[in-house]
Amino acid sequence: MSIAGPEKNSEFLAEFLDDYFAESEEHLAGARRGLLALEHFVHQSNIDRASLDGLFRSFHSLKGISGMVGVRAAERLAHQMESYLRALRDWQATLSPEGMDALIAGAGLLEKIISEHRAHAPITDPSQLMARLDAIISEARNNRPVDNSTTGSVSTEPDPLRTSLQALAIGDGKNVWRFDFVPKPELSARGINVNYIRAGLQQVGELMHAAPRVTPEGGIAFEFLVSTSEEITSFPDLFDDGVTYARQVLLPAGGAATVDVDVAAAPVEPMTASYQALSSRASNMVRVDLARLDELMRMVGDLVISRSRLDERVKHLEAALPAPEWRPLQETSLAMERQLRDLREGVMRVRMVPIGEIFERMQFVVRDLAREYEKQVKLELSGHQTEIDKFLVERLMDPILHLVRNAVSHGIEAPNERTALGKPREGTIALRASAAAETIVIEMEDDGRGVDAEQVIARACAMGIGIRGRGAGAGARGSGVGAESISGPREYEKLTEAKIEKAENIDSAELLELICAPGFSTRAEADRASGRGVGMNVVSNTIRGLGGTLELKTEAGKGTLFRIQLPLTLAIADALIVQAGHHRFAVPQASVREVIQIDASEIKILENNDVIVYRGAALPLLRLTRLFGLPEDQREYFHAFIVGSGLNTVGIAVDRILGQREIVVRVINDPLIQVAGVAGATELGDGRAVLILDAAALARPAEGRRIAAHNNGLPRPSNKSVESRTDA
Amino acid sequence: MSMKRILIVDDSPTMRRMILASLRDLKDIAFDEAENGLEAIEQLAISPVHLMVLDLNMPDMHGLEVVEFVRSHQAYRAIPIIVLTTRGDEASRSAALEAGAAAYLTKPFLPNVLCGRVRELLNGES
Amino acid sequence: MLEEQNGSKTFIIFELAGTTYAVRSRLVQQMEMIEEITPVPNAPASVEGVVFSRGRVIPALNLRVRFGFERIPIDLRTRLIVIEVGERNVGLIVDSAREFISIEASAIQPPNEAISGLSGKYIEGIATVDNRIVLILDLSEVINLAEILIGDQPAHTGAQPAKQG
Repeated sequence: MSIAGPEKNSEFLAEFLDDYFAESEEHLAGARRGLLALEHFVHQSNIDRASLDGLFRSFHSLKGISGMVGVRAAERLAHQMESYLRALRDWQATLSPEGMDALIAGAGLLEKIISEHRAHAPITDPSQLMARLDAIISEARNNRPVDNSTTGSVSTEPDPLRTSLQALAIGDGKNVWRFDFVPKPELSARGINVNYIRAGLQQVGELMHAAPRVTPEGGIAFEFLVSTSEEITSFPDLFDDGVTYARQVLLPAGGAATVDVDVAAAPVEPMTASYQALSSRASNMVRVDLARLDELMRMVGDLVISRSRLDERVKHLEAALPAPEWRPLQETSLAMERQLRDLREGVMRVRMVPIGEIFERMQFVVRDLAREYEKQVKLELSGHQTEIDKFLVERLMDPILHLVRNAVSHGIEAPNERTALGKPREGTIALRASAAAETIVIEMEDDGRGVDAEQVIARACAMGIGIRGRGAGAGARGSGVGAESISGPREYEKLTEAKIEKAENIDSAELLELICAPGFSTRAEADRASGRGVGMNVVSNTIRGLGGTLELKTEAGKGTLFRIQLPLTLAIADALIVQAGHHRFAVPQASVREVIQIDASEIKILENNDVIVYRGAALPLLRLTRLFGLPEDQREYFHAFIVGSGLNTVGIAVDRILGQREIVVRVINDPLIQVAGVAGATELGDGRAVLILDAAALARPAEGRRIAAHNNGLPRPSNKSVESRTDA
Repeated sequence: MSMKRILIVDDSPTMRRMILASLRDLKDIAFDEAENGLEAIEQLAISPVHLMVLDLNMPDMHGLEVVEFVRSHQAYRAIPIIVLTTRGDEASRSAALEAGAAAYLTKPFLPNVLCGRVRELLNGES
Repeated sequence: MLEEQNGSKTFIIFELAGTTYAVRSRLVQQMEMIEEITPVPNAPASVEGVVFSRGRVIPALNLRVRFGFERIPIDLRTRLIVIEVGERNVGLIVDSAREFISIEASAIQPPNEAISGLSGKYIEGIATVDNRIVLILDLSEVINLAEILIGDQPAHTGAQPAKQG
C-alpha cells in the first residue's frame, strides 16, 4: 500500500501549508537546541539518549510532514539525518566532528529548503550533503560493535525509559517513587489526564519510566517511576489528582521491590509552586494564528474608541446631572479605561515569545564563522527568556545575524594577534536582551578591535559618502541616531554642512551614520563576505522601520557595542499600499472588500457624484485625490478598493495599487494631526511617514463630504486666509 | 445510526489535522486526537473507540507497544488499528501486522486511500 | 514665565524671517534636516504634515505660518527642531538653526510691549547676546492646541519684527 507522491492532492494540501510552516519552525527550533546539546558529545559514543531521541523525533516529524506537502528535498534530507541519528543511537557510533558538522549543515539546509518552498523559489538540491551524510553513516556502520549488529534492522525501538531504569538500578542514592494514575472521564473533563500528570511528574524529578497496565479489575492504569534527589515524602496535589504513590526500592541486581508507604500517614507538605505552574503550562498550550490575535487587537481598539465616545458623553452630562448621579458614571468610565488598557496589554502579551530562538541560532553562526575566519570566539547569551513580539522575532533575525557576523569577521582579532595584544586568545561576543518599561533592549558586544574611525572615514570619503543629514541621502539620520544627534548642535552643524575632517572630531552617532549609509562597506566586507550579509544600511532601516533605534559605542582596541532599542508593543496589520496624487497611502486589508480596476469611460456622473456600475448596482466612487485635495492626472483607468457595507458601500479610486505588505501601525497622538479619514501612520523602510487610511470613515457619507469640502478650499470656520500649500 | 469514534494518534499536530481532514466526509463519526501512546490508551479507557489511526514513532511509548497493549487487553482487542507511519520505516511493517495492526499505510498518504481503508474497516471488513 | 532666575541656561538659537529666536535646549529632543514631510489632509494650515521622530508620528509645524509670516520653500538650511513639551512632541520648521548658547538669567528681560504685536504672546523673554537681540519662545504657547486648531492667528500684516542689533 505504498503511495505515490501527493501531487494530485495539491488543493487538499494547500489547506495545511501554514500548519506545515509553523510546525516545521518548531521542529527546527527544537532541533537547533538539540544539536547544541549534542555538541558536547563530539568524539564520544555514549551519547545522552534523551538528546538523541528528541532530535530523532524532530527530523522524523519534519520528514513526515514535508512528505505530505510534497517538499521532497526536505523529506529526503530529513530522512538521511534521521538515519545518522539512528546510527548514533542504535549502534552507539562515535559522534565525529564531521558528523556534527553535517547535522548542523543539514538543519540549516532544511530550513533553507522549507523557506524556499514558502517563497516559491527554486529549491536547493540537498544531494551533496546527503552524500556526505551517507559516507558518515557507512563509516559508522563499519565501526559498529559486533554484538549490537542485530539492533537497528527493525525499528522496534527499545523503550528509552526502561533502558535508563536499568542504568539507574545500579543505584546512586536517589529516591525512586512509583506513581499510579487511573484515568477517569471526570478527571479528564477537569484537564487531569495522563499528559498533565506526566508533565507534573517531570517537575517532581526525573521520569524514568511510563507505561500503561491493566488493573486487576480490567481497567487501565498508568505507572510512572520517578527518581528524586530531594527528600520529598508526600505529593498532596498529585493525590488530589487521583494519583497514588509509593516509594520504590531498587535492588542492585536490577530487580525492583516495592515498599508501600502508608499514604494517609505521610505528612502533608505544601506542594511546590513550580509543579503547579509548569504542569498547567504543559497541558494548556494553545497555538494561535497571529491574524486572529490581530483581529482581537482590532476589536480591543474599537472598544477603546467606543469608550472614549462614552467618556465624551459623560463629560457633557456633568452640567445636566446632579453630582451624586454624575460621579459614579464618570468613575465607571474611568475604571473601564483602566480595564481596557489591561485588556490591551493582555492581548499583546499573548503575542510574545522568548527571544532565545534568535540567540540560539547565533550559536551556529558564530561557530561556523569562527571556523571560516580562523578565529576563536565564544558566545555569551543572557536574557534569552526576554519576551518579544513574534513579529519582531522574524524581523530581527537578519539584523542580529549581520551584527554578529560583522563582529566575528571584523571585530574579533585573530588568536595570535589577540595574544600579542595581551587579550585572551578566545574572543567573546555577548548577546543580551532585556525589557524595560515600554522598550526591549538588545545588545551585541564584542571585545575585538573596535570600529576604526579613520578607516571608516577614509572609506566613506572614497565612496563619496558624507554625513549630510537626511536630505542628502545618508541613510541613518533620523530616529536611528537621534538620541545622540542633539548632544551638540554646533558639531552637528559643522558635520552636516562642512566636511568630515578628523577621526577625533567624529562621535559614535556619526560613525554609525557613516557605516549605515547606503553603499558603505569596508573593503574586508566586500572581499570576503559580500553577498551574504544584508549590510548595515539594511540593519538600520529594518530597526527604524520597527520604530526602534540603533546605537553604537566603540573603543579602539577594546571592542564594540551595538544597542538596539525597540518598542515593546506593536500593532501590525496587513495593508494595501496605494498611490494617489504622487503620495502613498496604506489601507488596512481588513477593511477592503475588493479591489477593482475601472476604465475612466465607465465612470458616470450623477449630480456631481462619480458612480460606476458594480455587480449590477450603482456604486459611488470617491477619488482619493479629490478627497484629499491632491494633484490629479488625466488617467485612462483607476484602481479602486471597495469599502463599507450596505448603503455605505463606496469605491475609493486611487491612481495605482503598489502592493500589499505588513505594516507597523503607529498611532497619531497629537490632536494637530488627528483628522478624519486617517487612522495612523506607518513607515515602509525609507523613513518617510505614510498615512494609514481609515476606510470606514471615508465610506461614511458625512465624513467623506467633510473631508472633500475642506480640501476643495472652502473656508474654515474661522476667517483665516487660505494659504497655498507649498509642500509637494 | 450510532455515532462511531475514531482516535487519531500522531505527535505532529499538522499530521493529525491532515488525517482528520482526509476522513471528514465520513458520516456519523466523532474524532478524538492523542499526541502520544499513553494519551491514546487513556482515551480508550475514557470512552469507546471504534477505530484507531496510529503513528509509530512517538515519545515515551512506541506505536508498536500501543498495538501490543491494545491486542493484549480483552476489552480493546477488537478495535481495528491502522498503522500510518513515515516512509522509510517499512521494516516495521511485518512487526506491526504481526502485533495485530489491521492495516499498514505509509506517509505521505493519499487522503482517499486512507479514507477508503477506514471505511472498509468500520464496515467490518479487514 | 522664567521659573528660575538664577544662573545661566542653555538655549538653541534659530532664525525665522530675519529674527533670531531661542528655545530652551532641555525641551529640544533633536534637530534635523528635513527630508520629506507627509502632508495631512484637513490639518490646520500651519501644520505642514507628519514626520517620524524616534518611532513616533509627530506633527511638523511651520513656524512661519504659525507666526503669520509668508511661507518659503524648504531648502538645505531648513531645520526641524523636535521639541517635547508635556506629553507632546512637535517638530518646528524653522529657516535655519545654528547653535547652542548659554544665556545668563540676568540678561533676560520680560517681553517689551512694543514688540509683542506679532509673535508677542509666544515670547517669554528677550535677551541680548553678543549684540544680537534674541526672542525667547514660550513653547507651550507656540504649540497651543486650541489656537492652532481654531486657526485664529491673523494673516501677516507686514509689521516688522524686532531689529537685529
